[in-house]
Amino acid sequence: MELLLAIAIGVLVAGGLYLVLRAQTFSVVLGLVLLSYATNLFLFASGGLARNRPALIAAGPPYTDPLPQALVLTAIVIGFAMTAFVVVLALRARAELGSEHVDETGATLDDESPDDADKEEDR
Amino acid sequence: MILSLSIYAALAMLAVAILLNLWRLAIGPDDTDRVLALDTLFINTIALLVVLGIHFDTTVYFESALVLALIGFIGTAAFCKYQLRGDLIE
Amino acid sequence: MPIAAIILLPLLGAALPPLVARHGRPAPAWAAALVTSAALAITLWLTPQVLAGGEIHSHRDWIPLLGLSLSFRLDGLALLFVLLITGIGLLVFLYAFYYLPAKDGLGRFYALLLLFQGAMLGIVLSDNLLLLLIFWELTSLSSFLLIAYNPQTRVARQGARMALAITAGGGLALLAGFLLLGAIVGSFELSVVLASGDLVREHPLHLPALLLILAGAFTKSAQFPFHFWLPNAMSAPTPVSAYLHSATMVKAGVFLLARLFPVFSGTETWFYLVGGVGMFTLLFGAYIAIFKHDLKGLLAYSTISHLGLITFLFGLGTPLGAVAALFHVGNHAVFKASLFMAAGIIDHETGTRDMRQINGLWRFMPYTATLAMVAAAAMAGVPLLNGFLSKEMFFAETVHTDWLGPLNWLIPTAATLAGIFAVAYSMRFIHDVFFNGAPIDLPRTPHEPPFWMKIPVAVLVAACLLIGIVPAQTVRPILDVGVDSLLGFSPDFSLAIWHGLSLPFLMSLIALLGGLALYSQRQRLFAAHDRYFPRTSGAAAFQYTVLRVRQLANDLIARIDNESLRRYVAWLIGTTIVLAATPLLLGDFHLAGERAPTPLDGIAATILLVLAVATLATVRVRRQRLRALIVISLVGLMVTLTFIHFSAPDLALTQLSVELITTVLMLLALFFLPGDPALSVSRWRHRRDLTLAAVAGLGTAIVAFALMTRTTPSISDYFLAFSKPFGGGQNVVNVILVDFRGLDTLGEITVLAIAATAIVALLWRLRLPIRAGDPTGRPWADDRHPLIMAAMSRPLLPLALTVAVFILLRGHNSPGGGFIAGLVAAVGLILQLLASGLAWTEARLRVSYFALVGVGLLLAAATGLGSLAFDRPFLTSATLHPHVSILGDLELASALAFDIGVFLVVLGTVMLILEGLGRLNRPGAANMSPRGED
Repeated sequence: MELLLAIAIGVLVAGGLYLVLRAQTFSVVLGLVLLSYATNLFLFASGGLARNRPALIAAGPPYTDPLPQALVLTAIVIGFAMTAFVVVLALRARAELGSEHVDETGATLDDESPDDADKEEDR
Repeated sequence: MILSLSIYAALAMLAVAILLNLWRLAIGPDDTDRVLALDTLFINTIALLVVLGIHFDTTVYFESALVLALIGFIGTAAFCKYQLRGDLIE
Repeated sequence: MPIAAIILLPLLGAALPPLVARHGRPAPAWAAALVTSAALAITLWLTPQVLAGGEIHSHRDWIPLLGLSLSFRLDGLALLFVLLITGIGLLVFLYAFYYLPAKDGLGRFYALLLLFQGAMLGIVLSDNLLLLLIFWELTSLSSFLLIAYNPQTRVARQGARMALAITAGGGLALLAGFLLLGAIVGSFELSVVLASGDLVREHPLHLPALLLILAGAFTKSAQFPFHFWLPNAMSAPTPVSAYLHSATMVKAGVFLLARLFPVFSGTETWFYLVGGVGMFTLLFGAYIAIFKHDLKGLLAYSTISHLGLITFLFGLGTPLGAVAALFHVGNHAVFKASLFMAAGIIDHETGTRDMRQINGLWRFMPYTATLAMVAAAAMAGVPLLNGFLSKEMFFAETVHTDWLGPLNWLIPTAATLAGIFAVAYSMRFIHDVFFNGAPIDLPRTPHEPPFWMKIPVAVLVAACLLIGIVPAQTVRPILDVGVDSLLGFSPDFSLAIWHGLSLPFLMSLIALLGGLALYSQRQRLFAAHDRYFPRTSGAAAFQYTVLRVRQLANDLIARIDNESLRRYVAWLIGTTIVLAATPLLLGDFHLAGERAPTPLDGIAATILLVLAVATLATVRVRRQRLRALIVISLVGLMVTLTFIHFSAPDLALTQLSVELITTVLMLLALFFLPGDPALSVSRWRHRRDLTLAAVAGLGTAIVAFALMTRTTPSISDYFLAFSKPFGGGQNVVNVILVDFRGLDTLGEITVLAIAATAIVALLWRLRLPIRAGDPTGRPWADDRHPLIMAAMSRPLLPLALTVAVFILLRGHNSPGGGFIAGLVAAVGLILQLLASGLAWTEARLRVSYFALVGVGLLLAAATGLGSLAFDRPFLTSATLHPHVSILGDLELASALAFDIGVFLVVLGTVMLILEGLGRLNRPGAANMSPRGED
């Protein structure tokens, strides 16, 4: 069973990374979602697998390891916040730069580099 | 004896149902078909959870089933709204 | 803790001036003066005790593990410095009120001065090396802000940056030195360190520790070759210069030499390093000072020179040398502060500081001129003034030095030469400014400054005279206890003005006459200096280095950075693969661990299979975006099922709700993201991405498998055992979240709140084109809010809220808790937004989600603080067990209040994000949106 789960995590990581390397922001977002699934499963699995042994005192021992679960629980919610942030960033980039390409810098739109002002100062 | 047998039978049937949902999800042909397939998949999963709960003799899964029912419906509604109007919240 | 109060008063009082600044200009000045006076009053109250020979200590542990404690000591040495810092501080406050332009509200100025003063007091009162270092760095930072008080001018910024770079760099060296010293002695407590002089001097690490500590002291005290920041810091407003470069900042370095005198002094290394650097700086600074045309520049180099003198005296390592050094610390502070103030007055009145323009001011401002001339005479070492006394002691000590053997005569000769220079530049300050013909092209016609502006100068000059004429009655007691805390005894010394016709007196005489002669030949001297003196300066070298480093960084960045995110990510992944794979490939790595594998079961196998297939499908259909979303929902569902199957009901609930919210989020975004035309990707890049992804996936799978098949010792047993007795809950996952690791959770919900705020900020005034139909070109339906959908949705809200409350209350004992409840409640609200629209929902639900987040955070934090009120650690929970029908045994732990806080934050965050997205392209605050006709 461990082997299967490990493979599934591996596939999630591979798929997620491949998508993160794409040029369109939407693909990158999809990739990040897959990666956060992978990370959460990985963390969760690090506590070992146990069937029908939730960490509820009422259910009686033996229990599964509750610590990775607590970690993953917050990770899921924070992962959502991160995804939301990237999504909104993509929207903002679309509005400001008129493109959904991740490498769009808008250099043609705004040529003023803040570095120049600073260089002037040291002369 | 009869209970456990019927549970196994139910699990097997649910597994087949889920696989059929997946088949529909894969071939489409339309995105609306896929949304429907996903919705049905959710419902079958709820059934699966309940049967599993009986199998393991625990009520721990029932909350998940409850939330799953809620989520499944809203998810489908969201997809439908998107197909209809594009803009979800207006 | 009266000692701590001396430091805390100015540190905390720094908040006062800005607060009262709107009540007019005098208010901040009064506030600052009041604060400092209070600190001074406490010191004076403690003074008799110290003078009677009692050192005052106070101690409180801070971080015992690191050896850091809040220990303070008020001994003779500290007393001398505290009196200088607060006394001259008060005078500077008065002076600054008249000096700074009337349009300056002064709030910021006095706040910074107080901050600096507090830090300085901290240095001299600390009884712990690490604590001292904290204050040390604080002086570097606050002096940076003071020097750059007028950040509009370039010189101010540059001067401040240079001062910060040099002194903070020295601070780092000092930290290293202190760590070594602490390691040698075994404690960072000064009392222990001071008693371990022999141990330190014989330790193999003695030299590195000494070098690093001296680097700290020398940078701060502007000793050669680190001196150049000080003249550049003259761009600060003159009151700042008067304070920083007479009584404080630069004196911190010599204070450190004095403080550690018992530990390090007396060795040959100490003499050559400290004495050598001091003597060279003394000569160098005095020589350069003659040629500075800028009044403040002259004073700056004179300061460098006098600091060199003090450093040299400490370097001698003799008891009388230490006496003379301490004495000169005080004397120099007094006359130099008054001279800076006088220079400020002249600058203020004439509009320039160039001595080639300023001449004959005697006729315009006789009072100021008299005061400045007396102070300058003290600087030159004229009899009957304080400078003469300490200089005479200095000369006497040089005569008695025998470190150099047959070359001993060099030292008194050099000292006399420095004396000649000092007289020459003092003479220039007097003659070139107040006499020497008439002023040339002054921007302003000078006249006497306001009466109160002269008072601080007058007070200081009076002190010069008093100390110079009756030293035994004025400074002797403080000097005695000050030296006592350095040496452990009071050496026999005489403070008489007249010692008979001795060699030191002869040296003074030579210095005076020689200086006058040198000054009379100044025109030739200037010409020779211009022709022969090398044109390099430390400041130029510093600027050059800064420029080169920046250029190097720019070149490097230009070379490796092509502004492509994909390239960064690829490098990141590649590096991670290499780093992670190296130990696995090199080490003795076995794939499978010792743990017995879980048997294969059909359901799990199916779930995981679907998971993998759906993942690949997501990658494949990524361009048909809606389809990709449908498939990724499936992946999410399978992840949920995995959680359920392997005993994590809490995770399953969380994952499910997040899943839905993410889907809604992506659908909302999808409306505005039609996608760009596909760009062709090179075959090479495609292969690279595939390879990277595949290798990383394989690697993760291997690590995951290895991890799952091993048992590692876990702290979870503790959580499992004490969840019920300590945390009062049966759902261990939830108890960990709200109790054992409550502080982490508090941090995490704070992160959520921050993310929500950032998203709202990003959405601010965002305008995006709306698409008229779906990608296939089909137009949107007309019905905004289909009746059936709305009718079906409305009953679900109370249901969802009930489920949320149920999950929230039960969370401590059964799967659930604040996170999940917040998500479920948000789901219920989102459905209403979907089905009935923004306007409909807003009209019925008048609540600010920002307020929700804020209240939630406050509640969670307040719960934690509540436990402090019962004298228990932060976030300890208390429990009550009321039995409520239906819900069963409710644990009404204080953890529940914390969980409610979590609930509110999660709910507020999710709604802020989704509603913010839903509001895109619509007027923000209005309740009724134009498109929302329902």
